[in-house]
Amino acid sequence: MGRNLLAERPTYVVGIGLHRYQHKTDTTYVQLGLTAVRAALADAGITWPDVETAYTGTALLGMGASRIMLSRLGATGIPMAQVENASASGSTAVAQACLDVASGRTDVALALGVDKPRGGLPMAPSEAGISNLEGGTVVPFTHFALLASEYMAAHGVTAEQVAGVALKNHRNGARNPFAQRQQERSMEEIMADPISGSMSRLQCCPVGEGASAVIIASDEGIDRLGIDRSRAVRVLASATRSEGLYPPGVGIDAALTVETAQAAFDQAGVGPLDMDVLEVHDAFSIEELLYTEALGFCEPGQAAFLVESGHFDLGGRCAVSPSGGLLAMGHPIGPTGTGQVAEVTRQLRGEAGDRQQPGAHLGLTHMVGVGAVCVVHVLESPRG
Amino acid sequence: MPDVRARYPELIRLGSTADDPPVIIGQACGACGRRSFPPDPYGCEACGAAVDRLTSTELAAVGVIHAVATVHRHHHPRPETPFTVATIVLDDGVTLKGVLTGDTSAVGVGSRVRGVTVPWDTDDDGTEVVDLRFETVGGEG
Repeated sequence: MGRNLLAERPTYVVGIGLHRYQHKTDTTYVQLGLTAVRAALADAGITWPDVETAYTGTALLGMGASRIMLSRLGATGIPMAQVENASASGSTAVAQACLDVASGRTDVALALGVDKPRGGLPMAPSEAGISNLEGGTVVPFTHFALLASEYMAAHGVTAEQVAGVALKNHRNGARNPFAQRQQERSMEEIMADPISGSMSRLQCCPVGEGASAVIIASDEGIDRLGIDRSRAVRVLASATRSEGLYPPGVGIDAALTVETAQAAFDQAGVGPLDMDVLEVHDAFSIEELLYTEALGFCEPGQAAFLVESGHFDLGGRCAVSPSGGLLAMGHPIGPTGTGQVAEVTRQLRGEAGDRQQPGAHLGLTHMVGVGAVCVVHVLESPRG
Repeated sequence: MPDVRARYPELIRLGSTADDPPVIIGQACGACGRRSFPPDPYGCEACGAAVDRLTSTELAAVGVIHAVATVHRHHHPRPETPFTVATIVLDDGVTLKGVLTGDTSAVGVGSRVRGVTVPWDTDDDGTEVVDLRFETVGGEG
């Protein structure tokens, strides 16, 4: 085992900024990204020359996205790179920025997520020359419809109970000015327009455009730049795992989450039941149930009933997807993981306004990327 | 009888007669014994053995439905929606996903299924192309 760098050198989120997630527009990715970075710099109370290294999480923009954008804040010559890890690209940008700071290489690092939808982009796994019998019939919404079928059969859960995740997350998203979907929905609306199995349109995330940025700093950076410590959220853990081989019948996505969560909780020295707020990869409603269980918040099969009882509502035992999650806030790919960290930071500062989880002290972010990879971060409020 | 070929000949071996069931082509690792599907041209995911240790192995196209979903939206004209897909655990221990055919109204988790071929296309030279589907076992005992 290597060293637990985040325990050795305290590392904090000190600035957050977003451009609203939305349907594709004529706005350039440069404008989206700069909006988020300028907001994050203002939030931290620092200027661009204070930033020593930058990572841009993007899966769709193509080669060389960072400098043409970030140099418009001033061409300071700092190291910068794009980070691609499918849906977890933004999360991996955060992981890299935390590693830079925790290792002592830099005191202030930027993780930016920015993307615009683009059709026809090659998916590397489909270029691997490995054929299958599905012939394109099992796209992601059907993969998760099959997992929903399995879950409902195994645990005696109804389609409406699974859809309860989308009901809750649209309610949360209606309170988030950065969300792509800002409309509370009835169960009747959620269940309308079937896509695949029990997955309806509003149980599938929208993929639009947007940007989100987080600034990571060390104690030295905070002191030198006079950053407000009362708003600095400590990063207790940053864990990444890739898919292993699991026994037949074991769900890959959940098994990978179990392993990554364990690695993160080991680093942080806390457990799932200590968490007050979670942002999980709810690209499809069923996923939030599988992942809250895999992260250790309840036993397999219980999450659907806990959603129904309000356990995971804002004001409940642990708020899950207070931003609206991927289902309502949206899943613009690159920004999604950085946006989760921004939301949990806002919650742990107590600055989330009418979607504030009362007394939130510890929070967790979780993304899965196709391949599959999983990235988990654990954050702690400035109250320590 | 016209020439017939499978849509994915690297994955399916057709029976020699129309009544002879299709067989799924999997892979076995000579180093660790793992059986897998689909065949992989690179190496073994379980033990890392190179492809020269991997051999083709036939898997009977019979198994049990583990999960099922009817698809209402599809970005290709075929199969026409709605169609039903399933996660199937083959009796030979491998899990795969396939499209169902026939009456799927009573299909559910736990239903037994077997592979059959259905017409898919015709090549320019007149060769009939067939694709694998799964149908529930029963009715005829």
